[in-house]
Amino acid sequence: MPFHSRPRRLAQAALTVALVALLAACGQNHPDSIFHRRTDFNRDVDYLFKVLIYAGTAVFIFVEGILVLTLIKFRKRPGQPEPEHVHGNTTLEIAWTVIPLLILILIGIPTVRTIFKTEAVARSDALQVEVVGHQWWWEFRYPQYTTTEASGKVDTVVTANELYLPIGKTVNFTLHSRDVIHSFWIPALGGKRDVVTNHTNYLWMTPDSVGSDEFNGACAEYCGTSHANMRFKAFTVTQADFDSWIAHQEQPAVGSETTGPALSADSTAKVTTATPGVGAPPSAGAVNAQVAQAGFIAFPRDKIPASGVPETPLPAGLTFDDNLLASGNVENGKKLVTTGMCIACHTEHGVTMMQAVVGPNLTHVGSRTTIAGAMYPNDPRHLARWIKFANGMKPGVGMPTFGIGQYDPVTLKGIVTAAGGFTDAQIADIVAYLTSLK
Amino acid sequence: MATAAVSPSYAHAESTANSGIWSWLTTVDHKRIGILYLFTALSWFAVGGTEAVIMRMQLQGPNGRVVSAEVFNQLFTMHGTTMIFLVVMPLSAAFFNFLIPLQIGARDVAFPRLNAFSYWVYLFGSLFMNVSWLFGMAPNGGWFGYAPLTTMAYNPGLNIDFWMLGLQILGVSSLAAAFNFITTIINMRAPGMNLMRMPMFTWMAFIVQFLLVLAFPVITIALVFLQFDRFFGTNFYTMTAGADPLLWQHLFWIFGHPEVYILILPAFGLVSEILPTFSRKPIFGYPVMVYSGILIAFLGFGVWAHHMFAVGMGPIADSVFSMTTMLIAIPTGVKIFNWIFTMWGGNLRFTVAMKFAITLVALFTIGGISGVMHSSPPADLQQTDTYFIVAHFHYVLVAGSLMGLWGGIYYYFPKFTGRLLSEKIGNWHFWLTFIGVNLTFMPMHWSGLYGMPRRIYAYDAGQGWEIFNLMSSIGAYIQALAGILFAYNIFRSRKHGEIAGNDPWEAPSLEWSIPSPPPDYNFEVIPVVTSRYPLWDIKHPELTTEVPHSRHGDERNDVSMGGKHVGAFHDHLAAGTPEAGVNPNAKQASSKVSLKTAEELGIPMPYPTIKPFWVALFMTLMFASLLMIHKDMLHLAVAGVIGFACLMAGFLYAWLTSPLEPAHH
Repeated sequence: MPFHSRPRRLAQAALTVALVALLAACGQNHPDSIFHRRTDFNRDVDYLFKVLIYAGTAVFIFVEGILVLTLIKFRKRPGQPEPEHVHGNTTLEIAWTVIPLLILILIGIPTVRTIFKTEAVARSDALQVEVVGHQWWWEFRYPQYTTTEASGKVDTVVTANELYLPIGKTVNFTLHSRDVIHSFWIPALGGKRDVVTNHTNYLWMTPDSVGSDEFNGACAEYCGTSHANMRFKAFTVTQADFDSWIAHQEQPAVGSETTGPALSADSTAKVTTATPGVGAPPSAGAVNAQVAQAGFIAFPRDKIPASGVPETPLPAGLTFDDNLLASGNVENGKKLVTTGMCIACHTEHGVTMMQAVVGPNLTHVGSRTTIAGAMYPNDPRHLARWIKFANGMKPGVGMPTFGIGQYDPVTLKGIVTAAGGFTDAQIADIVAYLTSLK
Repeated sequence: MATAAVSPSYAHAESTANSGIWSWLTTVDHKRIGILYLFTALSWFAVGGTEAVIMRMQLQGPNGRVVSAEVFNQLFTMHGTTMIFLVVMPLSAAFFNFLIPLQIGARDVAFPRLNAFSYWVYLFGSLFMNVSWLFGMAPNGGWFGYAPLTTMAYNPGLNIDFWMLGLQILGVSSLAAAFNFITTIINMRAPGMNLMRMPMFTWMAFIVQFLLVLAFPVITIALVFLQFDRFFGTNFYTMTAGADPLLWQHLFWIFGHPEVYILILPAFGLVSEILPTFSRKPIFGYPVMVYSGILIAFLGFGVWAHHMFAVGMGPIADSVFSMTTMLIAIPTGVKIFNWIFTMWGGNLRFTVAMKFAITLVALFTIGGISGVMHSSPPADLQQTDTYFIVAHFHYVLVAGSLMGLWGGIYYYFPKFTGRLLSEKIGNWHFWLTFIGVNLTFMPMHWSGLYGMPRRIYAYDAGQGWEIFNLMSSIGAYIQALAGILFAYNIFRSRKHGEIAGNDPWEAPSLEWSIPSPPPDYNFEVIPVVTSRYPLWDIKHPELTTEVPHSRHGDERNDVSMGGKHVGAFHDHLAAGTPEAGVNPNAKQASSKVSLKTAEELGIPMPYPTIKPFWVALFMTLMFASLLMIHKDMLHLAVAGVIGFACLMAGFLYAWLTSPLEPAHH
């Protein structure tokens, strides 16, 4: 069949290229691979995956081998007699019913064992983490760390899109959704488990085979416009660092707390262990000194691998005068945040007026490495633009537009001062304040 | 009988039925309806393929910005919905329509006008759903439309309304067609065609119709709940009222998993026709092939929750659904082995149709193996909702269903049109498809296992996903090129392809005993069937005498029923073609074919009628009127529903009271 030759040669060339590309790909770094065996969960899955892939490969080679052999052996040749009309062979057909059954039993036994192991109740001394899925960000609460108020127990450690896990300790996630169905997944550590509205789901794992490291997490169930932008970070840290981080999280941010009359009037200050600074907010230098004293309060940014730093490009046409950021006034920013529109959606422990839970908890926002569902790095440059025009930076986001002169695609209005809008200079002040909330 | 008119046989069918657009609008001929299905589905394949190519352009590199997040979500929703409901199912329906009556020796389907109705409902439903693009409101909830994302609280636009109403409309089409084919297959088989002599394609089609009848009511219920929620404020999926979102998931997947077999079994049937013909051997283990098809369909209703291993059903449910899912691999594996052993010992002729059929066997195996990997819940937790599962079901539906359907088109195009598709262009089409499919979907296994979730419109560099996404995108472009070649091949061969003759492939079943394209009455004399492979019995009686499919004592050439001579296979062959019998080199001969018309033969044929067209149109408009509720025009919606319902009922009444065909003489 001479007319086959050209396409067939094309196929051979393509196969070669594909193999080379695959080999090249195997040499790459795969930070989110499920094969790292860093947790008990992933080792169990890895074992099961090996059983499956070995059995599957054997079946694949066997089937394709017979197929290719058949194609070569029985291709039509000139002068061949009519083939005999064979209608079946009971022995053969029983064989290829029973042998797959045996292979499936081989797979089925470890499968069921692993199901019952991984879906058992987590050990009682596990660290409890409550995961709340929102469109489109993650809220993480540590319910073992609470304070008692008039209204009952209140979680003191609440963070957004960043999860701290002590190395070697089992962590039990309790999964809730605030709106639609999401799915909680840290590929390199384990999962995934759907976060189902009106349901409570559980997932546990023990990150016992890791060092201090950063892992990417993501929402794996399609949840609307910005599903792709619902990412998060998991940091595995030593138990000592974890304790230090918890102790720090339980307090209001370094530099946030003042005894100013507007804020201290309410005697039911949420955080009982707070040791507020006195008087006016400290200068940046003083904050740094206090941060240094507090020990481990955030995963060091210089230890985050490049794969853990978000790279979403800023939208074209979104301008901000970055020179203003250097001269942001913390005090003024604080006033804007704690008395302005921000209080409608956000919480800041220690600030009585800010107890809303629509958006992420801002108590220690300055120590987080990312914003907007781990879509952008948390630095003044991105934060400023985020406050100015979040809708342009994250499709469908609930965060309103605040930059004066910006056009809000949700409300279909231009933003003015009366609508709670901010000038670039005011935004620079807010950024300075938020950045100081270590 | 050989009058001297020199006209190619393909032209003849057009002269018996009026040509022109009106004849297509009013046709009730199952063959023309099949052709309508075929070309409509291929057009939607171009649309769905374009959607896929745009998505692959977006994902070609990190943080692509070809389309916005919202448009990307609409693209993948419509890509899935289009490919499943507007391409693969209707392509299968094209073959059901065209082939079932021919394979069982009937003159048409049981309800020819209902058949036309099914097609028009499909066409209008598919147009309705895609009109949403013009408003920028294409469905955006994923093809699986999980509640509560599809409820008014989270999706107040018309997007989901287009989707759910469109699916309801298409469901009417599928159900009407399914009842039609079940009735046809049960009642209209030629004398001697018992169930175990039916061609394998008809068998698989038969099974699929039962799947449709049993599965579609479930999605209909789920969609009715959603419609009531969205239009009338009920609380089936209202989370704040305490609804359970898993209600939708269970209902959807009880439909959704049998749907997978609705998509794959027709392709299995086509492959089971193609492989024996080009191996020149009967199918290996015919009864086992039948029973495994039935078993796959039966088990297919007991595995739905394997789509839900991540939702937290608990270890017992996970284990049970894991086991039932693994069981399905057995009958599927049996089919694979039986196909291979159909070829074993044959004289394999590698036509393009054969290549596509072999590719299904080879590549569906990959999809089957990754399917077993998904059947293990702990492993599935790491794989589901990643690109690994995207790879899995594309190996099932593209490397499986579509390969079988493309093979079927190359195989049956001569019967559809009287002309062969070009093998030369076909080879390019095949190899580009083969390369493109593997280059697109094989790397997705890796991008999934390396942590890439599905349905994301953008991703960062540095995750180790770039090379795989680039490969997938290049593969998609190659597939697009293959699709263009395919379109060109069809376009060109319709007018300029080689004349096929009755039986260009030396195939065994009844449809190859009549001219290509068949006259509108199909069989001048209804054939009497004495075996599974009637044409081979004639050509090679020495090979087929002692075979299990012929009942002992059957007279091969002269059949009596109830003591009365009803005819013989040779009578039918002599009547159907002037050349009397099968001429494998019929290219010259058939250009001299001249067939008698139905009137000359005294065969009553159904009247053409426009009424099913109007009933389908007004039904679609009736559904569409509901959209006005969300435009705050309740009165318009009510008026539209009532008005169009009256029009629909009026035309339905006219349809039911007019005679189907001339009174029998």
